[in-house]
Amino acid sequence: MTINKNNSGNQAAPKKEKVSKIPYEKRKELYGYGFIALWAVGTIYFFIMPLVQSLIWSFHDTDVVVGGMQLKNPGIQNYYYAFRQDQNYVPALTNMIKNTLMNTPLIIVFSVFVAVILNQKFKGRTAARAIFFLPVIIATGPVIDIINGNMTTGGYSGGSEQFSTMFETNLVDDLLNFLGIYNISDRLTNIITVLTSDIMNLIWKCGIQIILFLSALQGIPYSAKEAASMEGATAWEYFWKITVPYISPMLIAALVYTIVDSFVDPQNDVMKLVLSQSKQWMFGKSAAFAWAYFVIVGILLAVIIAIVNKFVYYEVE
Amino acid sequence: MATKKQEREFEKERKRAVKARYERMKAEGLEKFFTPEQIRYNRNQRILGAVWPVFRGLIIFGLGFVIMYPLLFMLSTAFRPNTQMSDPSIVWLPKTLTLSNIKETAHVMKFDAWDWKKPLDNTILNTVVLNVVASVLQVITCSITGYGFARFKFKGRNLLFAVVLLMIIVPPQITTIPLYIQYAYFKIFGIIPLYTGNVDADGSKEMVSLINSGLTMYLPALFANGIKAGLFIYIFRQFFRGLPKELEDAAYLDGCGPFETYVKIMIPNAKTSFLTVFLFSIVWYWNDFYVSSSFFTQNNTVALMLKNLNATLTATLFNNQSISVRQIIVWLESGCLLSILPLLVMYTFLQKYFVEGVERSGLTGM
Repeated sequence: MTINKNNSGNQAAPKKEKVSKIPYEKRKELYGYGFIALWAVGTIYFFIMPLVQSLIWSFHDTDVVVGGMQLKNPGIQNYYYAFRQDQNYVPALTNMIKNTLMNTPLIIVFSVFVAVILNQKFKGRTAARAIFFLPVIIATGPVIDIINGNMTTGGYSGGSEQFSTMFETNLVDDLLNFLGIYNISDRLTNIITVLTSDIMNLIWKCGIQIILFLSALQGIPYSAKEAASMEGATAWEYFWKITVPYISPMLIAALVYTIVDSFVDPQNDVMKLVLSQSKQWMFGKSAAFAWAYFVIVGILLAVIIAIVNKFVYYEVE
Repeated sequence: MATKKQEREFEKERKRAVKARYERMKAEGLEKFFTPEQIRYNRNQRILGAVWPVFRGLIIFGLGFVIMYPLLFMLSTAFRPNTQMSDPSIVWLPKTLTLSNIKETAHVMKFDAWDWKKPLDNTILNTVVLNVVASVLQVITCSITGYGFARFKFKGRNLLFAVVLLMIIVPPQITTIPLYIQYAYFKIFGIIPLYTGNVDADGSKEMVSLINSGLTMYLPALFANGIKAGLFIYIFRQFFRGLPKELEDAAYLDGCGPFETYVKIMIPNAKTSFLTVFLFSIVWYWNDFYVSSSFFTQNNTVALMLKNLNATLTATLFNNQSISVRQIIVWLESGCLLSILPLLVMYTFLQKYFVEGVERSGLTGM
């Protein structure tokens, strides 16, 4: 803007320059507000207001009347109901947290593995990538429920059952027996069984994480690769000393995405409870269920991020 | 500059030269040139180079099969006559093919409904209109917001950005019911009663119900609050932060205002990012059934139709008798196929934008 002033001082200005009195920095700040104004208005109306509203509901008994909601009996009775009286809520919650804690590392490890493979050069790589990202397109929709339903209910006597038994208990047990291990621990076999029988769902949840890790892998500078191969690093060493540090920043993004994704999934047990309460017009209870859940998962997320953050390597300090 | 073909030739030549040199060394005795560790390392590398591709091929094939399995199953069942479902001699290839499953499902899902007076009764058309309008609005407003967060310093920016992050992690289930009430008794801070002119005591008569209207999708999108808007704002912010600042400085010096700079300089530079976000937005709107099932009771989208397909099919084809999944599966799978077909076609042609777009635009900078 100073340039404009100088110009108008030196030569006769052809048209009158409007020099505003607000300093440049201040004006830029105002423009910033201008750019986010639309979002700010929308967020207040479409996000903050409903959020606060549901928080208020969770502390009241609600009655539906024309034109809105009638609130009475303020108190924490809904939360008390959720944790002390409802028979399903606490088991669903612990179950959900247990599943998330178990599945998340698997999803992360698996996506790193697939990303490393897809990052190598081989024939048909484009096609392989296209197939591995396909779940991103389909898995968010209702199609996945029908597919899963058909797989698990065994609606069809042919392939689907073959498919699901392929990964089930028998195989794991057989393998353990084959190795000479008999009944080391029921719990361990149970865990392995749960993991292997759900392998399709696990793979179908990895799409976005694979993309994230792939982009991180492509950010590894060529010089690092060259140095490693000159020093005679084996593939194993290369993976732990080069690959893992470089993709660790993306680990947090992938972790957050995985946890949030399983948390907001309408198919998980807690969400089903929340929705079933609101279907019975118990909006106060439904809101309390959702908020308690939200706070617990939020704390969980914060703890996990804080722990993982200690192990992340940032190249630029 | 060498073309790709030439480069490939060079690569081949280099490999041949390396191999020839190695053969020469071997003839003279490798111990002269390398230490024993180097010899061992080289041998291991060679073995790995021969074995690994085979394993890699097996892994990719196996996992690819797991992913493609439902789709193959869908294809196999959708064109199979229902009677052949219980034939134990058929696993993948049906003995005869039929289109009647597809036709009947398309009819039940109102894919073929056509009325010049009400074209939006057609599910496909209705969904496409909803998706495209909402996605276009969403991309425009989210990019503006993302740009604001990326390039301007203002008081409270970090706090406001924390709200964006909150938008990503708060599940829509928390806000849906209050939103429903806001939509059902829509008054925008009392502006509509002012407009219609008759304000009465509780204002209940002047409220407009938006339920079942496309506005329940368009309005949030218009204000950068549509489905997964937080994520899109985040992507755009990361992307714009990655562009060089000199671009804008040059534009400012040439006399562009900030908004003009945004339209004329930043948008052309962010084309790929725009396309990626637009595609993802389309996909998420297409697949969404939670938000639309909350706000629509009649307005039908493909996802809603599919969600209710089991019930509708039982009512129309089986007169509400209770039936097992096995009897109805051909129609269910046809419905699945019909509803993801548009996405699959889009994906086949624009695959590179889904993948490379995300890699290049922003998310990398997390």
